[in-house]
Amino acid sequence: MRKPFHLAWFTNFTPGDWTSSFAGTGSPWNGKFFVDMALAMERACFDYIMLEDTLMVSEAYRGTAEATLKHALQVPKHDPLPLAAMIAAATSRLGVVATMSTMAYPPFMLARLACTLDHIAAGRFGWNIVTSGEDTAAQNFGMDKLPPREMRYAMADEYVDLVCKLFDTWEPDAVAMDRARGVYADHTKVHPIHFKGKFFSCRGPLNTVRAPQGRPVFVQAGGSPRGRKFAAMHADSIIAVGNGIEGMKQYRDEVRAHAVAAGRNPDDVKVLFLVYPLLAETDEEAHAKHQRMVNSPAFIEAALAAISTVTDIDFSQFDLDKPLPHLTTNGEQGSLDKFAQWGSGKTLRQLASERFDAGLSMIGSPDSVAEKMSEAMEEIGGDGYLISTPFQRISRRFIIEICEGLVPALQRRGLVRTEYTRTMLRDTLTEF
Amino acid sequence: MPTPFHLAWFLQGSSIQAWGENWTGNISEEWMAPDMFLDLARSCERACFDYLLLEDSIYIGETWQASRDIFLRNGMSVPRQEPGIVAALMVAATSRLGIVPTLSTFAYAPYLVARMVGTLDQASSGRAGWNMVTGSSDLSARNFGLDRLPDHDLRYDMAEEFIEIVTRLWDSWEPGAIVADRNSGVLIDPTKVHTIDYEGRYYRSRGPLNSGPCPQGRPVIAQAGGSDRGRQFAATYADTIVAHVKGVDAMKAYRDDVHARMKTCGRSPESCKVLYLVAPVLADTPEEAQRRADTRRAQAEKHIDMRLAQMGWSTNIDFSTFDLDAPVGELTTNGHQQSLAQFLRKAGSRTLREAITNYASSGMSVDLVGTPEQVAGQMAEVMEEVGGDGFLFALPNVSRRSVCEITDGLVPALQQRGLVRREYTGRHLRDHLMEF
Repeated sequence: MRKPFHLAWFTNFTPGDWTSSFAGTGSPWNGKFFVDMALAMERACFDYIMLEDTLMVSEAYRGTAEATLKHALQVPKHDPLPLAAMIAAATSRLGVVATMSTMAYPPFMLARLACTLDHIAAGRFGWNIVTSGEDTAAQNFGMDKLPPREMRYAMADEYVDLVCKLFDTWEPDAVAMDRARGVYADHTKVHPIHFKGKFFSCRGPLNTVRAPQGRPVFVQAGGSPRGRKFAAMHADSIIAVGNGIEGMKQYRDEVRAHAVAAGRNPDDVKVLFLVYPLLAETDEEAHAKHQRMVNSPAFIEAALAAISTVTDIDFSQFDLDKPLPHLTTNGEQGSLDKFAQWGSGKTLRQLASERFDAGLSMIGSPDSVAEKMSEAMEEIGGDGYLISTPFQRISRRFIIEICEGLVPALQRRGLVRTEYTRTMLRDTLTEF
Repeated sequence: MPTPFHLAWFLQGSSIQAWGENWTGNISEEWMAPDMFLDLARSCERACFDYLLLEDSIYIGETWQASRDIFLRNGMSVPRQEPGIVAALMVAATSRLGIVPTLSTFAYAPYLVARMVGTLDQASSGRAGWNMVTGSSDLSARNFGLDRLPDHDLRYDMAEEFIEIVTRLWDSWEPGAIVADRNSGVLIDPTKVHTIDYEGRYYRSRGPLNSGPCPQGRPVIAQAGGSDRGRQFAATYADTIVAHVKGVDAMKAYRDDVHARMKTCGRSPESCKVLYLVAPVLADTPEEAQRRADTRRAQAEKHIDMRLAQMGWSTNIDFSTFDLDAPVGELTTNGHQQSLAQFLRKAGSRTLREAITNYASSGMSVDLVGTPEQVAGQMAEVMEEVGGDGFLFALPNVSRRSVCEITDGLVPALQQRGLVRREYTGRHLRDHLMEF
């Protein structure tokens, strides 16, 4: 019997799939599409839905927002927090994780929001910690550019420290609700923090009741070595990029070592790897569907615009049918290296079509993909997968294929949860 | 600008109808709480359908080798839950969609039908309908203490009395009967609530209805009249007709005939919408759609016993005693006359094997195979020729995925052509039907 693993879904409040034959309307702005998605995921016993976020309209490709808007690349993107509240209210067991950037919220506001959402979700809320990596986002918040990377991490360390202190400002039994004495909250159990750091200061206490989980779940996507360490120290779950089974195993082992070094039980940090499954009735149909998708001109242009965004290199300047010249970036060098596959001799068009490969090809019938997921997880060692789609182009049909096709195939193999046994998200994550 | 047409869903078969198909999740464990059917209702509403009709039968089939085995082994129309209850849950899960359960005249007293559908109409703020059927199997009659069903035409004589009682009961409360006058302390004006004192050959009922008036006055009446008597009945009483006639010419002839009969009864033809049953095969590409249609045919050939058992189920004929490789010949039934007539007409001089394979692998009224864009075009052409009034989707494999291929693939393609509703404008089911 193989060890079971965890499932979550990486998505965002964007138009989703609006071009394919079964795309629906492309206007999910009342949020009901995502509520329905969360209900489908809850039926399939996922650990959590993760709502990614960014705070800008990118102009990296050709120096304009044209491609970004034309292909709806990360834009329009609505605020994940009202959506998180809607999802939390409509579900009862699924974890709800929303992204909030430390750049965008004062720590007090973020702690208050997270605490409020954890109450609305009855202990199922998580915060995906991001620092924002784009100058265009910084400029929306009154800065000329982002602080240097190292300083961003130092600020994030302090920010998280402060937020954790705020979560503890109300002792667990601070709300007395003693009707006989007429005492709602016991003032001796609610404490200011008088936090004075290098970057932030805050008096406290929070003006919200202590969160059901005490501290809501922390999720983090640590790619760089510094990021991994940060994630290993703070996160309950890590969003990890797939780069081949060997690389994934190595990544997880390293995170677990960091966690031990930080005095944590490594099993308390669930590393979930992003995968891009593509399902159909048969393997042949799935591969044909994949080929149609990645070879369409719109996909190629969207892939180039997307990689331009994270590397600050304008890929429109290169010939699609020739190999790339060697490039370096001040943006995400790791993403660039992975995209460019240096030395492979592939043309830019091929590279663009392989943008969402992740080193794990999860293409086929539900049974074949379940088998691949099982084998890969066996080798990596754990802890599970985050389902995603290229450019977050998601349709109801795709959601159904995962929740009514792939997940039951995994359940029949005993590889994923068939019922929730815990009520709070942290307990669900540490169930196995 | 083309004339728009109506869409509805015809939910048939068992509560685990898509058992064994792909993309059905854990349907065999989860069916008792009918969440998938409630999702179907919500999806139909998102797609702005006129209504969802719940088909019914009240027995377990035995029309194959005189045994229940094939029906039970394969879950053919069994288990299936009481449509009145499922309809109530669907009413609660939606706010605009019409909900039309099937209630058989042999199984319920007229008073109970009037009360149950009337209550659904109240609970749904005017979105309920009743699909009137007379029953088609002696096996179902025996579950109700009868030896056999009355003969086909007698059933329609009885049904006329039945529906007279039901509609008169709905009318037993005059508009404005509930005065709720706080000054005089009068809730209901007794002069506006009347007995009906109906004395028929087959049914009697005194009235008035004790459940009060319906938002629609009379809830919508749906009917699937195929035979001569059935058509006459539908032309007299129905607001919408479930039509299963094969081919564009037959579809047009059927609708023209119903319209002619309606005129003779003094009804305007616009007051009854004829919707044709279809089972489209949709896929991302034309080739994949064709492959799916071929698979449907191959399945029909492979499971010829199940297909024949199904045909026997609606016609009360046990085809297991027939020679598969001999011509079908002449047959009669006291069950669904139209289904048998269609089957025989299509069969011609073909063998039973060929005839049932063709019948079971077709797309019902017309074959619709292709990408959503292609099928939208095919539907537009059919409606152009037939003249109206729309389609009822009746899938043999209702799963969340097959539903979403209709509601998130085909319907948006139809909406972009301006052929179907994009948003509800009326409040009641009858408003939806009469909107265009």
